[in-house]
Amino acid sequence: MGPLIDALPFSYTVSVIALGAAVLGLTAGVLGTLAVLRQRTLVGDALAHATLPGVCVAFIATGAKDASTLLVGAGAFGLIGALLVVGLERSGRTRPDAAIGVMLSSFFALGIVLLTYIGSLNQSGQAGLESYLFGQAAGLVERDVTIMAALGLGALAVVAALFRPLKSTLFDADHAAAGGLPIRALEVVMTALLVVAIVIGVRTVGAILMVAMLVVPAAAARQLTGRLAGVLVLAGLIGATVGVTGALLSAQSGLPTGPVIVLVGFLVVLACLLLAPGRGILWRARKLARDRRRLLVEGVLIDLETALHGGPPPTQHELALASGRPRRALRRALGDLERTGALARDGERIYLSESGAASVHAVLERRDLWSAWLEHGWRLELPDAREPDPRDLRASLGDEHADRLRALAAEARA
Amino acid sequence: MSSDLIILLTAGLTATACGLLGPFLVLRRNALMSDAVAHAVLPGIVVAYLIFQTRAPLPIVAGAAVFGIICVLGIDALRGTGLVKWDAAIALVFPALFALGVIGISTYASGVHLDLDSTIYGEIAFAPFLSLDVLGAELPRTVVLGFAAVAANLAFVALLWRKLKTTSFDPQYAQAVDVSPARMSRLLLVAVAITAVISFESVGAILVVTLLIVPAAAAHLLTDRLTAMIAITVAIGWASAIGGLSFASAADASIAGMMGVVAAGCFVLALLAGPRYGLAARAIRRRRAGRRARVALGAAREAGAPS
Amino acid sequence: MSVDEVPVHSGGAPALEVRRLTVSYETRPVLWDVDASFPTGALSAIVGPNGAGKSTLLRAALGLIPADAGQALVQGRPARSALDRVAFVPQRDAVDWDFPITVREVVEMGRYPVRGWLRRLTGEDRAIVDEALERVGMGPFARRQIGRLSGGQRQRVFIARALARQAPVMLLDEPFAGIDARTEATLLDLLRELRAEGRSIVVVHHDLGTVRASFDWALVLNVRAVACGPVGEVIVPQTLRRAYGTDAVNDGAQDGELRWVR
Repeated sequence: MGPLIDALPFSYTVSVIALGAAVLGLTAGVLGTLAVLRQRTLVGDALAHATLPGVCVAFIATGAKDASTLLVGAGAFGLIGALLVVGLERSGRTRPDAAIGVMLSSFFALGIVLLTYIGSLNQSGQAGLESYLFGQAAGLVERDVTIMAALGLGALAVVAALFRPLKSTLFDADHAAAGGLPIRALEVVMTALLVVAIVIGVRTVGAILMVAMLVVPAAAARQLTGRLAGVLVLAGLIGATVGVTGALLSAQSGLPTGPVIVLVGFLVVLACLLLAPGRGILWRARKLARDRRRLLVEGVLIDLETALHGGPPPTQHELALASGRPRRALRRALGDLERTGALARDGERIYLSESGAASVHAVLERRDLWSAWLEHGWRLELPDAREPDPRDLRASLGDEHADRLRALAAEARA
Repeated sequence: MSSDLIILLTAGLTATACGLLGPFLVLRRNALMSDAVAHAVLPGIVVAYLIFQTRAPLPIVAGAAVFGIICVLGIDALRGTGLVKWDAAIALVFPALFALGVIGISTYASGVHLDLDSTIYGEIAFAPFLSLDVLGAELPRTVVLGFAAVAANLAFVALLWRKLKTTSFDPQYAQAVDVSPARMSRLLLVAVAITAVISFESVGAILVVTLLIVPAAAAHLLTDRLTAMIAITVAIGWASAIGGLSFASAADASIAGMMGVVAAGCFVLALLAGPRYGLAARAIRRRRAGRRARVALGAAREAGAPS
Repeated sequence: MSVDEVPVHSGGAPALEVRRLTVSYETRPVLWDVDASFPTGALSAIVGPNGAGKSTLLRAALGLIPADAGQALVQGRPARSALDRVAFVPQRDAVDWDFPITVREVVEMGRYPVRGWLRRLTGEDRAIVDEALERVGMGPFARRQIGRLSGGQRQRVFIARALARQAPVMLLDEPFAGIDARTEATLLDLLRELRAEGRSIVVVHHDLGTVRASFDWALVLNVRAVACGPVGEVIVPQTLRRAYGTDAVNDGAQDGELRWVR
């Protein structure tokens, strides 16, 4: 760790904190992804709470207060908690959510009892244990970070080595088992990896909020990519960034580390959920609005064509009466058409320009094609699994098949 | 009233208030939502302290209810986007709100007479020293609040009994007869938020969750009837209060924590030795059924009967 | 196809055979002492009412759920040691469609058990994956995330994954549930092609009409095996009444089922 710490542009203490937070974010991000994809993140919450009594028992047994010794206790209790959650779920009567809730709160209650018991012994150094509740980056020393990094690297190596079996089990456990994979064993491995991530992070983020660090990176990364390898890598990077940002902010402000990291992470997830291209809430809303607008404009175009067909060019008022559309919608659509040069005006009266007439033609052709699909689509032989998109049938079927469809319709008419 | 009696009453009433709601949470698979809501009320408490500069119960209950609702609606909205799964939605929203509360307390701690310890451990040991002025009479504050919470939850459950029962058992039928399961869940979780914030002073924000879930989950292992389940839940709650108090003073540890541990002990007992759903009873039943099946199969084979 | 034309290869072991298979959920039997065999090179169906244990039979045969008694053989060998000869298309209701995975990656999963779970895929594997994608018409969609497909397209992908496995025996659990007519026809044609190539196919199916028209062999199941044999002998009013129960036949069954019962 020495050279790495020297390379960072911070003071020694701050560098140690930043490195520790980076290691924690990276491992929590990658290993948490496995839990998120199994929809088992709240088991992670229960395990994080279960580490608290583990830390206390390790302290009572050894009297040591260095993070590394206490990690062993945390890890042992995390694994015990994991086994108990799974056992309780399989026992039949208790539902998964209640099983997780019972484990989480029972272990936490035990942790509180032990914590207060240790406090009553009045030994020195008890204050250090309290940082396992809300997390504290400040107390990290170089040796802790080295151990965290070694543990984390080991866990990441396991994920890399078992990437394909893990991917298959996560996506479709039945198929994986039918292919000969020991999926129970792989599930145990994934849970053990989750415990490793929690053990690495619990000192810095705290038992109560650790679950957020497992979920935030995966939830953010999933919005940005649709491939598992991509999600894992991105989640690691996002986790590390969130961890370092939060830890440094907390070290600067003196606020508890866990909450600061969690709030930073929450903002990152929120941004991804809102803005992610192709998926984000705002992105989708904009696309939907555009589609609706296009539908409106095409409708008004046809309304205008119909009016022109039956008489003199209408005024905007006459068009509104004839089409029955709300005035505001009509005004907007006419504005759009005006901008694209589809309209011509004669005083108050509106008629179509040459390009407008062409657009009308295109719209009508699209409508014809769609009714041809409904009527004759079943006779059309498609070369692959392509399916009709009602917004643009020609593009979704391909020109060749769209023309063939028109020919079929023409044949039937003749 | 003696100090011990005040502490016992506080603990028992808190457990009772939680026990009236817990069975519904367990049956509706809302246990983890209640965990989320119990965490999420923390910023509500801080905001109420900051705005009203008082420890009077009403503003704090209002603040907690508001943040409880924010939590539930936030989780529902996040799930509704389809971008994250239900568990991830819970795990994103409640830590963020709880973190907000913790930072609020850390920043304004001196202004609000709150500290992080009390959010975890509760202050039940101080219950005898707090009093509330009720119509001129000085009554122990936590006991009065505990009674209020029990009364409110009792009224809540009694008034909505049929709706709660219907929506818990068959949500789709309930929807068809115009009882929205989602709205009942939200109402229930608001009740959880209010109970959590009242219990907050005595057992802390997180151990409320123990009293909400663990006794009810234990009762679920012991009975098939809803009324019996509620009665057993409340009984386990009182057992936890009494046991927690005596063990805590023996071990010199947190009373609230010890209550949780005793409740967990009750759960383990129910899990192992429950008459019908306990592990021991089920193992015996399974062994008998297996033996019967083998005998029946063997007999059919010997008689040469077609399968 | 008439009964005489059923391509039952004489001499060889059946593609899939279960003997005295008994499976219980808790203490309730789901399959009771079932004997059945499905011939090599045939298109076979497992039919029966809801809760008859159709899916359970496939899953227990593959060892995905424990059986109380009995055994399953694939081409004469115990199924658990012959998994390399089976391609399985499970039901899709448990699949997480938002899972970050592309169409191509899903089909590549069919090669993992063949190539070894930890080895790199070779050029040959990639060619097999390409071919499987082409055969189900999903070539142009290879880079799509699985959730951005229609129901029919998703099922094509899962069949492609089974094709990439290149196993002589294919087991499909309700492959046509919730699928459009065009896709169903295409996939049924594909199954017939595969049979012509000599593969043995067993399909859990609910539409008796299709089974009667397109399949060679059937097992009629209702917890116990009611009848097992060539479709012409097995899908007859007498056995169906025994499997579905008189009441079910009179008013509970669907159109396609009624037609064959009356």
